[in-house]
Amino acid sequence: MVTPIKLEDLCAEIKTNAGCQCEVYDGVHGDHTLSITPDQLKPVIDVIFKTFDYCHLSAITVQQRKNQPDEIEVFYNFWSGSGFSLLLRLPMKSAKLPSIISTIPGADFYEREAAEMFGIEFTGRDETPPLLLPDEWDQGPPFIGEKEKNG
Amino acid sequence: MDKISIPIGPQHPLLKEPLSMMVDISGEKVLGGSLRLGYVHRGIERLAQQRTYVQNIHLIERICGICSHVHTTTYCYAVEALLGIEIPPRAQYIRALMCELERIHSHLLWLGILAKHIGLDTIFMHTWHDREMVLDIMEEVSGGRISHAANQIGGVRFDLDEEKGEMIRKILIKLHSQVEGLLDVIESEPAAIARTKGVAPISPDLIKAYGVVGPIARASGVDVDMRRDASLPPYDQLEVKVITHSDGDAWARTFVRVEETRVSLNLCETIIREMPRGDVVVHAPRRVPEGEVIIRSEAPRGELFYYLRSDGSDKPARLKVRTPTLAALSLLPVQLSEINVADIPVVLAGVDLCIACADR
Amino acid sequence: MFRSLFHLLVFPGFLFLVISGLTFEWLDRKFLARFQRRVGPPWYQPLADLIKLFSKEDLLPKNANDFLATLLPLISLSSVLTAGLYVPIAGYTPFSFEGDLIVIIFLMSVPTLAYYLAGIISLGIYSVLGGGRSLLQFFSYEVPLLIALSGPAILGRSWSVSTIMETQGRLGPFIIFQPLGFVLAVVGLIGKLKRDPFDIPKATSEVVGGSLTEFSGAKLGFWNLVMDIQAVVGIFLLIDLYFGWIKMSHPILAIAIFVIECLILILVLSGTSAIFARLRIDQLAGLGWRILVPLALLQIGFVILMGV
Repeated sequence: MVTPIKLEDLCAEIKTNAGCQCEVYDGVHGDHTLSITPDQLKPVIDVIFKTFDYCHLSAITVQQRKNQPDEIEVFYNFWSGSGFSLLLRLPMKSAKLPSIISTIPGADFYEREAAEMFGIEFTGRDETPPLLLPDEWDQGPPFIGEKEKNG
Repeated sequence: MDKISIPIGPQHPLLKEPLSMMVDISGEKVLGGSLRLGYVHRGIERLAQQRTYVQNIHLIERICGICSHVHTTTYCYAVEALLGIEIPPRAQYIRALMCELERIHSHLLWLGILAKHIGLDTIFMHTWHDREMVLDIMEEVSGGRISHAANQIGGVRFDLDEEKGEMIRKILIKLHSQVEGLLDVIESEPAAIARTKGVAPISPDLIKAYGVVGPIARASGVDVDMRRDASLPPYDQLEVKVITHSDGDAWARTFVRVEETRVSLNLCETIIREMPRGDVVVHAPRRVPEGEVIIRSEAPRGELFYYLRSDGSDKPARLKVRTPTLAALSLLPVQLSEINVADIPVVLAGVDLCIACADR
Repeated sequence: MFRSLFHLLVFPGFLFLVISGLTFEWLDRKFLARFQRRVGPPWYQPLADLIKLFSKEDLLPKNANDFLATLLPLISLSSVLTAGLYVPIAGYTPFSFEGDLIVIIFLMSVPTLAYYLAGIISLGIYSVLGGGRSLLQFFSYEVPLLIALSGPAILGRSWSVSTIMETQGRLGPFIIFQPLGFVLAVVGLIGKLKRDPFDIPKATSEVVGGSLTEFSGAKLGFWNLVMDIQAVVGIFLLIDLYFGWIKMSHPILAIAIFVIECLILILVLSGTSAIFARLRIDQLAGLGWRILVPLALLQIGFVILMGV
């Protein structure tokens, strides 16, 4: 059985090894969530993967809040005995994130899905064919834009 | 020898659901492969934002044809967490009973497919015959063999009486002896062992790097099971025996799944025996207060992840579903190298593909 | 003239072999179904399948050689039918000569080679793979099968099936002297017929339909017929070579015993395909050369010592 991690330990590890302060975001029920910035993503993930015996990436959850239309929220949901997430806020106009597939190859499909559905650009990885959408899809990311019309 | 690419899918006798793979082979050796998903992508996450919480139960039930109940269960727990209500213990037990039945039926289905892929059609026929018993139970208690429509927000839609409990127990006892026989075959049939032992082993490091969960992870010695670790009710009150194996090969994956079937059968008997009395549903309001929640549960194929955000209306603002198959699929191209062409079916079967789950 | 035509077309030629081939297929499917807790098809199902296939559209890939694709199943069919003429049925054979066993063995190998060619010329990826596999498999089972079949010939001091049967009448059935040889011959026959556990060239989950993936309509119908007739000829041959001792005064009794022996052998074949999982091609080659060939040589050594 994997021992659940404590939020304080995680924060301390990130602070000493990645050298960055992270805020705790307590909006999500069920998981510990740390709010970080895009340039902190790679060092923090390196720390997370090196510190804990077992840890996996459950999902990359992307969403756009109605009251903040020019912002995209990205959660990196991890699990290591208990769930914890990293929260990043990106500007809608230039949604760019460093790719983490060199550290976590399993993030490949999640990144591709996020790129297709929300138009996030993941830097530092090869261009790939569409994963879920049809090859001839030309209407842009389906989660962005036409939201209000149908919703 | 020259390199040739053979297409497997989207239509191929090997696959029950559409998935496209290009496998590069040279003679009888597989060099590598690539995947293409999306043939059954229905945009369920997007659709869920346009339907009310109640309508969504029926939408989400249709994500998967095998593990439909665990999807709705997880969704309902998520909504109930946002509503701040706790469902009656009897409803929790009924949900868990259906989950375990579903696990038995999924694992038996899987075992049959593996047997068919390695040319053991007899085992395929026998396991699917046994699986029919589970479907009979499902039909008897919920009215649906595949889509059970068992859940509603605030509880379940039906109750079990003494008579039905007795019937289920009788069928389960019969099923138990059948599963013992199957286990015997898997452990002793020389040709089946020859085809699965040592095939495509996965190391725990790969499991960690690719985030693979469920029976595949447990067959590689990674001790995770969301029933025990995430402790959704009523699993916090039940003893769940987690089966692990250290080999990580196709045979270990078979062993883990068959043993899990046995554990689930025992769990079903415990659930029926210890089921508390009382109501099976509480009233739930239609509007869900603002909030975000993450729920993890153990589907037959591993960790099922739901993220749900409500903005205070009667429709979810965002529903994210991550199914275990998606993680396992990302490991598939890695597994499809340095193996024999004849091992492709074994490797594919070992993943326990559920493309409908992965595409959503 | 009329007699020869009757032999060629009715008994033991075309009509008889086709009917027994279809009967074999039905029995095999029925037995297999019962092993698998299924009901199984009605008796006319193989015939119905055949008629259906013959009435279906005949398609081939664009660049495939249609002439060869038509010729190959016909060549195979005529070889197995010819082989069937020389195999004594319940002790009766119209065209026996010294050396007919060799002719039968040769003619029985023609379909395998044609099957390989069919895979190559029909230009599908799966067909090419299946064809290559069938050739690899051919080299694995054919050698032990040949060595095993030469056992009865050596003991009978003749390459004629009827002479071998006569010798068995004097000495007793050869199954007593070479049980190992019989088992090896059955294994070889399973390999020849590409049945489970040696259905590697046509493993559905690996190479779809093997060599015949691209075949349809009447051509596929002919191929199915070839497989069925090959099976019955093989079964008749094995029974003649290993159980052919009973010289019954009454023909009905001889036929009855022959039929019972056939049924038992079919049951064995169906049982084997129900019980075993498919082998990998490398496992089959290992089995053929490391286990079956030495065993076959052992059996031959025993037979030669016995003959001395």
